[in-house]
Amino acid sequence: MHALAGVDLDLAPGRFTAIMGPSGSGKSTLMHCLAGLDRPSDGSVVVAGVELARLGDDQLTRFRRDRLGFVFQAFNLLPMLTARQNIVLPLELAGRRVDADVRRRVDQVVEVLGLADRLDHRPGELSGGQQQRVAIARALVGDADIVFADEPTGNLDSTASAEVLSYLRRSVRELGRTVVMVTHELDAAAYADDVVVLADGRVRTHLQAPSSAELVAALAPTTGAAR
Amino acid sequence: MRTVLLASLRTHTRRYVAAFLAVTIAVGFVVVTNALATATKNGLSAGVRDAYPNADLVVGERYGIDDRDLARTLDVAREHDDRATVVGTALTRAAVDGRVLGSDVAVATVATQDDLRRQQVVAGRAPRSDREALADRNAAKANGVRVGDTVVLGDGPRAQRVRVVGLARSVSYLGANLYVPWSTVSMLPGATADSVLYDVRGSVDERRQQLDRAVGSAEVRSRDAYVDDRVTMVNQGVDVISYLLLLFAAIAGFVSVLVIANTFTILFAQRTRDLALLRCVGATRGQVLRSVRVESLVLALVAATIGVLGGALAGYGLAAVVRLLAGSQRIGAVGFSPVWLVGAFVGGVVVTLVAAWLPTRAVVRVSPLAALRPAETPSVRTRAGRVRTALGLLTLAGGSAALAGAVAGNSLPVLLLGGMTSFVGVLLLGPLVVPALLRALGRVVGRTGPAVRIATANTVRNPRRSAATTASLLVGVTLATAVLTGMASARGAIGDEMDGEHPVDVSLTGDRPVTGAVLERVERTRDVRSARTVDGVVARVDGLGRVPVLTPDRADRAATRDAGAVTAARGEVLVPTSVATRSTTGVPDRVRLVVDGRSTTVRTKLVGADWGEALVVTPATARDLGTARPLAIWVSARDGADPDALGGDLGAVARDTGLDPTNALKDRAWVDLQLDVLVWAVLGLLGVGIAIALVGIANTVGLSVLERGREHALLRALGLTRRQLRRVLAAEGLLLALVAALLGTTLGTTYGWLGTLTVVRTAVPDAPLVVPWGELAAVVLVAALAGLVACVLPARRAARVAPAQGLTLD
Repeated sequence: MHALAGVDLDLAPGRFTAIMGPSGSGKSTLMHCLAGLDRPSDGSVVVAGVELARLGDDQLTRFRRDRLGFVFQAFNLLPMLTARQNIVLPLELAGRRVDADVRRRVDQVVEVLGLADRLDHRPGELSGGQQQRVAIARALVGDADIVFADEPTGNLDSTASAEVLSYLRRSVRELGRTVVMVTHELDAAAYADDVVVLADGRVRTHLQAPSSAELVAALAPTTGAAR
Repeated sequence: MRTVLLASLRTHTRRYVAAFLAVTIAVGFVVVTNALATATKNGLSAGVRDAYPNADLVVGERYGIDDRDLARTLDVAREHDDRATVVGTALTRAAVDGRVLGSDVAVATVATQDDLRRQQVVAGRAPRSDREALADRNAAKANGVRVGDTVVLGDGPRAQRVRVVGLARSVSYLGANLYVPWSTVSMLPGATADSVLYDVRGSVDERRQQLDRAVGSAEVRSRDAYVDDRVTMVNQGVDVISYLLLLFAAIAGFVSVLVIANTFTILFAQRTRDLALLRCVGATRGQVLRSVRVESLVLALVAATIGVLGGALAGYGLAAVVRLLAGSQRIGAVGFSPVWLVGAFVGGVVVTLVAAWLPTRAVVRVSPLAALRPAETPSVRTRAGRVRTALGLLTLAGGSAALAGAVAGNSLPVLLLGGMTSFVGVLLLGPLVVPALLRALGRVVGRTGPAVRIATANTVRNPRRSAATTASLLVGVTLATAVLTGMASARGAIGDEMDGEHPVDVSLTGDRPVTGAVLERVERTRDVRSARTVDGVVARVDGLGRVPVLTPDRADRAATRDAGAVTAARGEVLVPTSVATRSTTGVPDRVRLVVDGRSTTVRTKLVGADWGEALVVTPATARDLGTARPLAIWVSARDGADPDALGGDLGAVARDTGLDPTNALKDRAWVDLQLDVLVWAVLGLLGVGIAIALVGIANTVGLSVLERGREHALLRALGLTRRQLRRVLAAEGLLLALVAALLGTTLGTTYGWLGTLTVVRTAVPDAPLVVPWGELAAVVLVAALAGLVACVLPARRAARVAPAQGLTLD
């Protein structure tokens, strides 16, 4: 039994792609493989021209650290660090000095995400939406080629969800990043440029800039069984 | 609920390992103590019984028999033609062929009548006259004494020559290196009589009454009654030691409480969702609480049982080892007293239940709703409560006041009380003090990279848990460093004292001039740093007869360990007590020194110092008496010289040249050895406490690893390499251990000094306050290493977590 089977997928840079599908369709596994968090038992994953299977654990870790950003559904921040410490953590792990250049970038991202007055709070003192924005800031502050978001709105109310999704879209439009988001919510997928629909571990459709009607049609037979 | 209970016990077995180990070690320690104490008692009791064979009566007081009663008892025996033999001991100098075996060789009595003799002859035959001796088999082997050798006991005019005619098996009670009849023992300085063994020819009762009338304060008892009394006395000594050991068991138990409480706190935090789910499906609070309490009870029962069994096995094993090392006579059959076994078992169970009580109470507060919320990190954020802080400050202040009072009033009990109270205060303030120290230390070492910074943040996020974890190590380190510091100060004080008493390491003294060839031979001897001849004259002295009178010059005196001790004032003669005690008439306050008709009268100054068989005067006094010639050689030994080897080598030179050797180095080594043994014994026992503390650190870090699985996965996803993750956990263990070690060392050194001020200063007023830097550094290093080692397994497990694991919703 494989979580994924025969997935052949090409994601374009500079676009906001949503991966959709019912529970158990392999969304998360696909994303973990794409992001080098998990290794496929067979096949290859090439990110930004790098064949991930060829990398050892340390090289893979460094690749993730330097080239990828992550936003997760629930558990996103380290509880013992402040928001600011969480944001610069990947840079610190890479051994980079927090110099003027870095600080300027942090300020810029923090400005965009509206976090300026929450930087010295710990995650426990932030709302869910704020925590998620800190996570996005962390993903954006490095030079990440791709930001992976795993159900980033799963724990948020609709206002906070809309906020987070629009920030993700802005980072694609204004900062030129690539975002890959796993979601099972139609509303969330509507923010994306492209939508990949998975079912039973296979790619069912890969829609470029779909309309709402196309999206509903693509998901129709499975959404009822999803939840 | 039983299904849940069993399933939970099965699932969480591994997480209980540390708590289980802590209880088992503490319980096992108590049982081992009991086993060894019993074995020692049995060995001693058998020894006591063997020491009074075949007699009808024993005459003696609790601590010996005085000379008058002794003489009267022997008179009665002579009068009725009964047989009686005196049991007694002495410590004396002994030499074979001029080779000094030691200056404090144990000598005890042997009966010349076969059936009153307590020793078992294993070679040769038993002594039949005053001039014959039996040697302890092991002591004889160690000292190279053989049957047929002549041993000189004591020195000077009262020296006794005896011939070794046989070897005896070693005994544990009233044992000695050499056994000679009482008539010879009684001639030695410092001989003490223990009792008289009395074998009646005729009616025992009648003689008993006659003896009762004859003696003064001594008691006349049947042999069995006397032996029973002695056994009780000896056993009381062992009991005192066992109770001391119990103190360490109590420390181990206390440390266990911390470890167990930590375990349960973390375990329940992790299981909040499970427990909430149970509540959701209809379990009442009572049921949930009962379930977790029964879990702790099962843990308690299993750990205590295994502790008792393991302790019993270890007791047998250790007794066998001791028997192998020290000979079979030292230790008897291993036995267990039910009180101790039950006490250890119940103690272990109660300690576990008490330690689990508070954490389990938190279970009641779990609301069923908790199960419905998305999985959050189970993190118990704890803070130092205000009550606790106030109580801590109060206790610390009270304890410190008591300590100050103890130093002012030189009171040991108040010192102990103050020490314990102030330490409890520190423990109570732990949640405030420990995180502050962790933060400070983390800031210092945090520059080494993000791993240490994350580790610091991790260790301070839960002040109470960090405090409890460090507390277990803190107890051990504080006690160890207190003992080390106290001992170092005491050793310094005793060292100064010893310098005054034994200013010359080895002296060779004679009454004829020493030739240059002899000096050269001494100088060539191994481990001799320097040797100097000391001039003097041989004078006739009132009450002492002919003795060498030395006049060490400035350079001679400077070469000794304490120049002041060998410096005489004008018109004064220094008389060592060792020389003075030889005098049968006593040494008058003013003595006349006579050399070939010329004489001078000087004041006598009795001194505790020892430089051989000689007096010391100023050069001016000596000049009045005639030309001084080199009469003695004073040797200064190299550091770390073997006192026995040096004594033997120089003893050979002395024998060849007719000089009289005095080896002060040996006395000094003996005192050092006693202090060393004390330090090692205490450190060994503390090892048990530290072992449990390490289990505690491994436990806390290990459980934190389980608890923070998701955090570690997140860190890995964000770019923390495996090696860095392992480093984070190693740094956590290291930080906790270092904080405990540094705080413990500071406290321990302070307590050690206060102890020195209170106890040692009463004996030696100007005892120095010493910081044994090397030893303290070793303690800190051991603690730090242990902290690292404790993290090896948890860190390996943590590094195995795949980054994708635990990031998605369960």
